[in-house]
Amino acid sequence: MRSALLKLFRNRKFSNYYLGSFAVLFVAAFFAKPLFGQATGEAAHATGGHAAFKYFSLFSDPKYTPLEIYSLLAVLFVAVLGLLYALMLAKQVKAADQGTKRMQDIAAAVREGADAYMTAQRGKIIPLIAIITMVLYFTTQSEESAFKLGRAGAFLVGSFFSWLVGFVGMRLATMGNLRVAAAARSSYGEAMQLGYRTGTVTGMLTDGLGLLGGTLIFIAYGEQAYEALLGFGFGGTLLALFMRVGGGIYTKAADVGADLVGKIEKNIPEDDPRNAATIADNVGDNVGDCAGMAADIFESYEVTIVAAMILGLASFGHKGVIFPLLVRGIGVLGSIISTYTVKAGPNDNSDSALKSVHNGFWIGSIISVVGFIALGISYLKFDAAYLALNPMAKAGFPNGDPTQLPVWATFGIANADMRPVITCFIGVVLAIALNKVTSYFTHTTHAPVKSLAKACQTGHATNIIQGFAVGYESTVATVVVIAGAILLSYLCYMGTPPLFVAYGVAMTGIGMLTLTGNTISMDVFGPVADNANGIGEMGYDPEEMEKNEKGSYKRARQILSDLDAVGNTTKAETKGIAIGSAVIAAVSLFASFIAVIAVGSEDKISQMTTEQYLAEAGKLTVAHPMVFIGFLLGGAVPFLFSSMLIRAVGRAAFLIVKECRIQFRDAAIWAGTKKPDYGRVVDICTKTAQKELVGPAFLAILTPIAVGFLLGTQALGGFLAGMILTGQLLAVFMANAGGAWDNAKKFIEDGNYGGKGSEAHKAAVTGDTVGDPLKDTAGPAVNPLIKVMNMVSLITLGVVMKYTVIDDKLPTQSRVIGLLVGLICLVVIGWAVWQSKRESKELQEMEKQFES
Amino acid sequence: MKPYLYLSLIPESLIASHLSPEEFGSYLSVGSQKRSRGQAMYFKLTDAYAEATLKKLGMDANLGRTVGEPPRRSAYLNIYRVLEQTPLEALESIHLTTDDGRVLTLKPSAYQQDLAPRFHLYQEFCPVSPRIVSTLEPKAFAQEITDSTKAISLPALVFTELKLEAMAEDPEAKAQNLPYTSIEHMRDCMRELKAKPSKKMKTVVRNLHSDLLYRTLRGGFYVATTGNGFRYFPMPSREELESTFYPWWRSALSSFGG
Repeated sequence: MRSALLKLFRNRKFSNYYLGSFAVLFVAAFFAKPLFGQATGEAAHATGGHAAFKYFSLFSDPKYTPLEIYSLLAVLFVAVLGLLYALMLAKQVKAADQGTKRMQDIAAAVREGADAYMTAQRGKIIPLIAIITMVLYFTTQSEESAFKLGRAGAFLVGSFFSWLVGFVGMRLATMGNLRVAAAARSSYGEAMQLGYRTGTVTGMLTDGLGLLGGTLIFIAYGEQAYEALLGFGFGGTLLALFMRVGGGIYTKAADVGADLVGKIEKNIPEDDPRNAATIADNVGDNVGDCAGMAADIFESYEVTIVAAMILGLASFGHKGVIFPLLVRGIGVLGSIISTYTVKAGPNDNSDSALKSVHNGFWIGSIISVVGFIALGISYLKFDAAYLALNPMAKAGFPNGDPTQLPVWATFGIANADMRPVITCFIGVVLAIALNKVTSYFTHTTHAPVKSLAKACQTGHATNIIQGFAVGYESTVATVVVIAGAILLSYLCYMGTPPLFVAYGVAMTGIGMLTLTGNTISMDVFGPVADNANGIGEMGYDPEEMEKNEKGSYKRARQILSDLDAVGNTTKAETKGIAIGSAVIAAVSLFASFIAVIAVGSEDKISQMTTEQYLAEAGKLTVAHPMVFIGFLLGGAVPFLFSSMLIRAVGRAAFLIVKECRIQFRDAAIWAGTKKPDYGRVVDICTKTAQKELVGPAFLAILTPIAVGFLLGTQALGGFLAGMILTGQLLAVFMANAGGAWDNAKKFIEDGNYGGKGSEAHKAAVTGDTVGDPLKDTAGPAVNPLIKVMNMVSLITLGVVMKYTVIDDKLPTQSRVIGLLVGLICLVVIGWAVWQSKRESKELQEMEKQFES
Repeated sequence: MKPYLYLSLIPESLIASHLSPEEFGSYLSVGSQKRSRGQAMYFKLTDAYAEATLKKLGMDANLGRTVGEPPRRSAYLNIYRVLEQTPLEALESIHLTTDDGRVLTLKPSAYQQDLAPRFHLYQEFCPVSPRIVSTLEPKAFAQEITDSTKAISLPALVFTELKLEAMAEDPEAKAQNLPYTSIEHMRDCMRELKAKPSKKMKTVVRNLHSDLLYRTLRGGFYVATTGNGFRYFPMPSREELESTFYPWWRSALSSFGG
């Protein structure tokens, strides 16, 4: 019987159907339960001890004014509007010219590869998501089934939305790249607009789904949305980690593998159709830069709104929750208007195109800031009636009186509190500042990249040394900018309890990601333009084009090359925002973490007093050995995680090299008369990326659990602090050093220090090769790592507090359970680390070949 | 099987083969097993000359192959003083092969002298292969180097001109996009030529150390023989390279791990 069941569950087809049905049922239950099931107040009192819970209670709660309810519905409408705008743009992109049969064949190969990757990843992730959903359901501290369902169901919805954003983004990108390549044959403006709009579809999908999820949860759960919000954030974060890690390994393994055989061994150009890894390389751009980045930003978008809503509720009451949702609604409108203004003329170049993209960002920023102010003036009023209903909000004002706020915080309006508006504005400025810092350290027009190019004249080593120096320096600049933003938020709320300060920081994150639509448009535009360039390279027929119109081939190639350059710049700029948002979200969530410890359980967070919070926050000092131990361990995890990812890229690349070498031995492929089997390399990349993401994912999920159970909550607090600090420094270092090395190479290729083929160029190529896995695999993956570890810590905190090994006040039985869980986590982490260091069979074979 | 006769420049050698110029270039660059790579430059000699030479050497069109055997890829016929023994009119075309076996064919054309005073950088290929900086334009340089009345001269020479950009006018100018090693030494050589107008040329590098970067070629290839023999094989224009010959040009640009 057991073996028959096992056999049945191991059957892939059955398990897929089974798990798929399970997921659908769960989502259906999540949405349907509020409509049919209403928990009674008595039941809640009897079981959980907290206030009577009713779904959609805000519609009947006198605390909420009709205007607030209409505003929330308006936010829902705006979220749907964003999705409709995305749909409209997707249709525009789809309707565009698709070029020649040859171009379509190449694009189809890329699309098929990308789809295969997503399908394989889905197969791997669904079981894990199903297990985590169950765990979340059964480990929810509250006995109230609505909260259990809320946390588990929202987790499922969050992960589904995150996956959807990545999947649709990647699908659109694989559709848009062909259209961009086709449009480049006739017009610069059309090609640029198509590329940007392809990115905007993903951007608006992120905006729309993120806002829709957060708003729906709040409408359904009202002031008791904490569990569901956490679940929603965790779902998005976990999927983003998978997409980022898997995509990062895929993209770099394919890229490095293609380069190792193509450029270095065979000395053939990039995107040469004879190279079997070419299509995989292009697929990698999509799964890494589109799916990975889109899911990553979606996750930041979710987590910042979750953090702001949780903290808003705990500090300023329901206005503190509704305001961030309204701000996001304004941001979506700003993105719709501003992304539509991004256009280029038929004869524009990369400079004017870049200017148009930046203008779009500025227009969006101005719309948003004006909208924030208008919203603040009309909504953020805290009169005596409101404070009577939400007494905890009084602590946010001098002497509990909003009229005593200084003029800068009220704009001279009675009872108004414009501090959330100001912190949002700080967030917008922070996004722009981070763009500028990233641009300064990675763009060819600035001193750091020029210094690297100069260092290339004296050889490989000096380039690497200078790259390290630039990368390290850039972390300081980024930290100063982020710390400056947090400081300004703190100054806005100086004199109030830390929870209010944390709310200010969370609102900075909300402001920072206001223009997510624009940010993702800029980011996705990069791989779309890159892919379009590849399709032009492989799919254009120079003779035919020249026959039809003299000079058309060269013009089209130039347009694609210019677009690629613009895409590289915009993509690099958005990396700063991704990292910054991770830090801001993590800092905000850290306040929630302290709050949960202070009250002893997450379902009592709304009952917390300021004194409780301050007492618990005061214990988190590095003078405490457990906190310090946690701090050290947390600081080390991002390094181990990065090491695992970089090794994974190396292993995967070796497999690709092996396959490409085999195919190159076919004389017909080498002569260009036979098409290589691209699918085999795509398969290798897909399987390897899936396999390799398991270890880092275990590390991310299980390490905080192990620390929590074995060393306690204070060590876990230290762990998170250490991890946030080193994680963000490492992420910035890797992204900026890699970007600087990449652009130093480009700077030399543009005809400086001897240009292409010179000794300086060879040194620059080495730097770029070193920087590649840093900037495209490990660096970006640290962002979701930071957030996953925070979310895991928050979600498991309630259980951890009950089973901590070192807490001698707990019963022995509980401590033994904690010990067992901790040890199991350690064993799995140990296995993951061992797996990351193993040499694959193929690698050993290759070594033998070298020896012989 | 039709036999072809090729004059390879690196190393100087006379080779008979059944491979067409494109196939031969690919073979020279990457070998038959595709396990090696390297740049190649060679002349295809006229069919008439090939037939006469093979006959003189007592070889038939099969180049030693019997029926059913694969075509002969290369049969080395001579590796010493080949160029000087080959008549100028037998040089039908020159073929430039990139590291990955892409072949560009250059046909001879009439040469128009450019007498504007400037520096020229020449890369010689065979029989010797130094890199020379000179104030002489290509034809004058060819005559000078093959002038048998001079103490130092060559019976024949294949060479090309390399780009100097702004340095052609001014040795002190910036060398932004010139990938040459020992740029400073080259400047010294140019300064010396400028200071002593009677001196027409100066050796910058004694030997060709590495592959030639095709992007640095200026004008084309020249063949000079004693008695004012001169033949010019022009490179296509940049526009033609970027459109008609794009696969070759891209390969040429992407060499060296770029």
